Amino acid sequence: MMPVLPIRPLLRRALLGLAVTAMPLVFGGWSWLEGPQSTLQTAGPVAAEQAKVFYVTVWVTISIFVVVAGTLAYATLRFRARNAADEHVAPPEQSHGNPLIELSLIAASVLALVIIAVPTLRAIWYSYDVPEEEKANMYEVNATGYQWWFRFEYPKEQIDGSGTLVAANELVIPAHRPVRVNLRTTDVIHSFWVPKLAGKVDMIPNRGNHLWLNADQPGYYWGQCAEYCGESHAVMRFRVIALDEKDFAAWLTHQKQPGRTVAAAAMADERPKAQFASYKFTPVRRNAPGWTEQFDADPFGHWKQQQQPDPEEDPVLIAKGRQLFTQKTCAGCHTVRGQEGAGRIGPDLTHVGARTTIAGGLLENSPQNLHRWITDPNNVKPGNKMYYGTGGMQGYVKRNGETWEQNITVSDEEAHALVAYLRSLK
Amino acid sequence: MDALARSNFIGKEAQPDAARPWIFTRPTAKTGIVSWLTTVDHKRIGLLYGMSALFFFLVGGVEALMIRIQLAVPNNTFVSHAVYNELFTMHATTMIFLAVMPLSAAFFNYIMPLQIGARDVAFPRLNGFAYWVFLAGAIILNVGWFMRSGAPDIGWFGYAPLTSKAFSNQFASDVSTDLWIMGLQILGVSSIIGSLNFIVTIINLRAPGMTMMRMPVFTWMTLVTAFLIILSFPAITIALVELMMDRSFDTNFFEVSKGGLPILWQHLFWVFGHPEVYILILPAMGIISEILPTFSRKPLFGYPIVVFSGACIGFLGFGVWSHHMFTTGMGTVATAAFALMTMAIAVPTGVKIFNWIGTLWGGHLSMRTPMMFALGFVWMFMMGGFSGIMHSAAPADSQQQDSYFVVAHFHYVLIGGSVFALLAGIHYWFPLVFGRKVSELWGKLSFWVIFIGFNTTFFPMHFLGLNGMPRRTAVYDGNMGWNTPNFIATVGAFILAVGIGIYFAVMIYTYFKGEKAGRDPWDGRTLEWSLPNPPPEYNYAVIPTIHARDAYWYEKHHRDEIARENAEHAQAEASHGGIHMPSQSWFPLVTALGLLGGGLCFGCKDAINATMSGWGMTGHNFGILFAIGFGVMVFLGALLWALEAPGGYHVHAEEEKH
Repeated sequence: MMPVLPIRPLLRRALLGLAVTAMPLVFGGWSWLEGPQSTLQTAGPVAAEQAKVFYVTVWVTISIFVVVAGTLAYATLRFRARNAADEHVAPPEQSHGNPLIELSLIAASVLALVIIAVPTLRAIWYSYDVPEEEKANMYEVNATGYQWWFRFEYPKEQIDGSGTLVAANELVIPAHRPVRVNLRTTDVIHSFWVPKLAGKVDMIPNRGNHLWLNADQPGYYWGQCAEYCGESHAVMRFRVIALDEKDFAAWLTHQKQPGRTVAAAAMADERPKAQFASYKFTPVRRNAPGWTEQFDADPFGHWKQQQQPDPEEDPVLIAKGRQLFTQKTCAGCHTVRGQEGAGRIGPDLTHVGARTTIAGGLLENSPQNLHRWITDPNNVKPGNKMYYGTGGMQGYVKRNGETWEQNITVSDEEAHALVAYLRSLK
Repeated sequence: MDALARSNFIGKEAQPDAARPWIFTRPTAKTGIVSWLTTVDHKRIGLLYGMSALFFFLVGGVEALMIRIQLAVPNNTFVSHAVYNELFTMHATTMIFLAVMPLSAAFFNYIMPLQIGARDVAFPRLNGFAYWVFLAGAIILNVGWFMRSGAPDIGWFGYAPLTSKAFSNQFASDVSTDLWIMGLQILGVSSIIGSLNFIVTIINLRAPGMTMMRMPVFTWMTLVTAFLIILSFPAITIALVELMMDRSFDTNFFEVSKGGLPILWQHLFWVFGHPEVYILILPAMGIISEILPTFSRKPLFGYPIVVFSGACIGFLGFGVWSHHMFTTGMGTVATAAFALMTMAIAVPTGVKIFNWIGTLWGGHLSMRTPMMFALGFVWMFMMGGFSGIMHSAAPADSQQQDSYFVVAHFHYVLIGGSVFALLAGIHYWFPLVFGRKVSELWGKLSFWVIFIGFNTTFFPMHFLGLNGMPRRTAVYDGNMGWNTPNFIATVGAFILAVGIGIYFAVMIYTYFKGEKAGRDPWDGRTLEWSLPNPPPEYNYAVIPTIHARDAYWYEKHHRDEIARENAEHAQAEASHGGIHMPSQSWFPLVTALGLLGGGLCFGCKDAINATMSGWGMTGHNFGILFAIGFGVMVFLGALLWALEAPGGYHVHAEEEKH
């Protein structure tokens, strides 16, 4: 008797081996889609609808791929010349085509496209604006792009004597509610993109665009400008923080308050400071990362924590920082409502200490990063207007013909004071 | 034939005409640098296009490698933000306008006249002019690298208002955008001139019997591409003129502060920009439609449908431009219309793929290097096509637009598509052009290295895009989950570079030392393979008569009939004085030099004026004055071109060496 080869077990073992070796590849592939800006791990109905359309296109194209690529692979293997003699035999039949095959393939392609077209059309209308039945519950904010930061305005939140509530780079919205974001720009084209909540829509000069989104859960979401907008486009980022109804109302009430002052006299006896600072600044290289794993482990928790005043804060240092804020002409471009400054060129800083990021969502709002940003802004965000100035306002440097000379310098000591002041603005 | 006998051309040999002033005589050098500078031979012009395109292909490749080095790890400092922006702008501009388009033009020039049995293009001097103008545009685009302004940094799409003076000249005087405008404008001149020439050639100079539906598919695609170019370039010409007026003369087409409309730029740009995509891919499809039948040894499956689908893609290509603008807030109806049109264009594209597979079916496939690249093209183009269908679903696209998913998509179409086909074409026609055959071993090795490197580079980018990584970003943070795919992509880019390196090293070796190829080394089907290699200056000793679609295949199977006809034609031609050839000319080069100087002076006018005022000369716009001076040179060049001796001479084909 011929020995029987154990084909089945061999095959099974081979398949198992293949599956095991392919596992990291497959799972590696999934971990490649789980970032904070994933377009497939969605957190709201708009992004979910867009992902659903994407999956339809994926399944349709994969089905076509299996058939067409299978045929192509089969034809290539089946009809290839295996040796030189094969190449020199008489040529094959010189056939010219088959209209019936052509027509049926065209019909099949059209059918496949219809499968994609139907959900596409539905989603175009759905994602364009807040559905009629939800309009009553809609919340509206205005987002304006600048080179290279975002200004967020709450048109319904009036503050007595100073207009509407304005924030920058961190958009706080109510969760479980449709939010319509009106998109504007004052300089070049930007694009508002929070992948987990909604696909992007551009901010185009002289054009009133909008998008809508709805956060399923309270949470902390990453966003980024998605249209090339000049030198520092890569570092034009922002965050969206969704809060439940109660927290959102509380946040609004707090935001409408003027900039926080720290009563220096009351605390001076306890902690006579201003001689040394709570951190030691270590200079970092250009483009050094401004994030930490500790923060990323619980960004929403950190945001909540950031709303509370720092227990270690030093009133004397803060008072000095507040003076420097005017002396160094910061107040010419920035506003701290209720205190110095009414500038509207740069981001509103009334509650900058309560934000989790600075420099347009680029750096975590830590003393170290704040220090880095205000002492060397051009190395953090090259080409920015704080450094070069704009309009009538001079920045850290001023133009002298074709060259630039230093206009503002911030010493290490001054930076410590400014950092303390800005961090006190909860 | 009295009229012919009195013709000015008859019986004249190529020699200076003593009766005319020297400036009106035509150069006659057949070798050396002058012969190349004054050439009107479509094959030499094709080679000039090819060499320039390959040079810029390498330049664009180096720019791509620098981009990949910067992105290999998060928060990298290899280049600054500003330099990175210049790199991605120039990488795209170079690859599209200075590498792929001229490489296609090289094939149009060299192969198309051979395929239709012509002895040259319809307007030989104009053909030379198109090349020199192309070179002028290429120089103007790249000259910024050597200036203080730096290279253009506005993206290859140059969206207003980032291109306006208010933003580009914010902190320093910057002429890079002006140079970009002039460079693209001049390249457009070259493309339109070249295309008109190809259209006239294909319509008028086909050999007897070559009806439109007997033309090789590559020639058909040349025709469709040429029409796309002459119809789409006017849109970008208008856009560039408006931008130039805004920047130079304070008009307000796009100036926001004066009520200009930046969105207007996007429409004009993409009315050009989307047909441009097909300008890049249709020649590639033509090449593939030549290679697959040759190496399958059977005719193209469904020739009429392949031709019509090519033309159909050309037409539909003008109706889908706003799918580049799904995120600009066009509103529901416009978005839906452009989404459906974009899906529709997938049908003729799919038809081509079905027909290529049908061509393989039942054939005898010889797996030579050109065939490998051609099959690689079909696979990779299919992948790029599928991600293209994903983009057509506008809601999905709102997540993918301007993300790395798009970068993956169009590199699959442009490298896996266009570049693979062009590399296949170089291998395929190399024996015809240079008379030598590339080693199969090295050719296939280069194919596999390129294939693996390409997929390693660009496949992970799909994931990057879906994971939210935007394009055109010089740095990214390490906490976004983008590190591994980016690193893999960079490794892939270097593998790809090694593959390209092997490919060209082998080509250069083969040019000098390769195995000599006999006539018709691939058992070809189209007319160009009937020629000795390299082809003589006059191409066809006797203009062939065409009886069937695969003309040379027919000829090989009906030798007696063809020999009889050729003898009759040869006799008729001899009675007209032999083979009529066009004379060379200096004026295409002179006129193009005028455009180069004018473009440079106008583009650099701010820098020139600053320099002149540094020398104490103010009060005039010297840049524009100099540009006008060069404009006079262009005018004189064209005038003398018109007035120079009509030229033309006759040669008598020697007995062909086999």
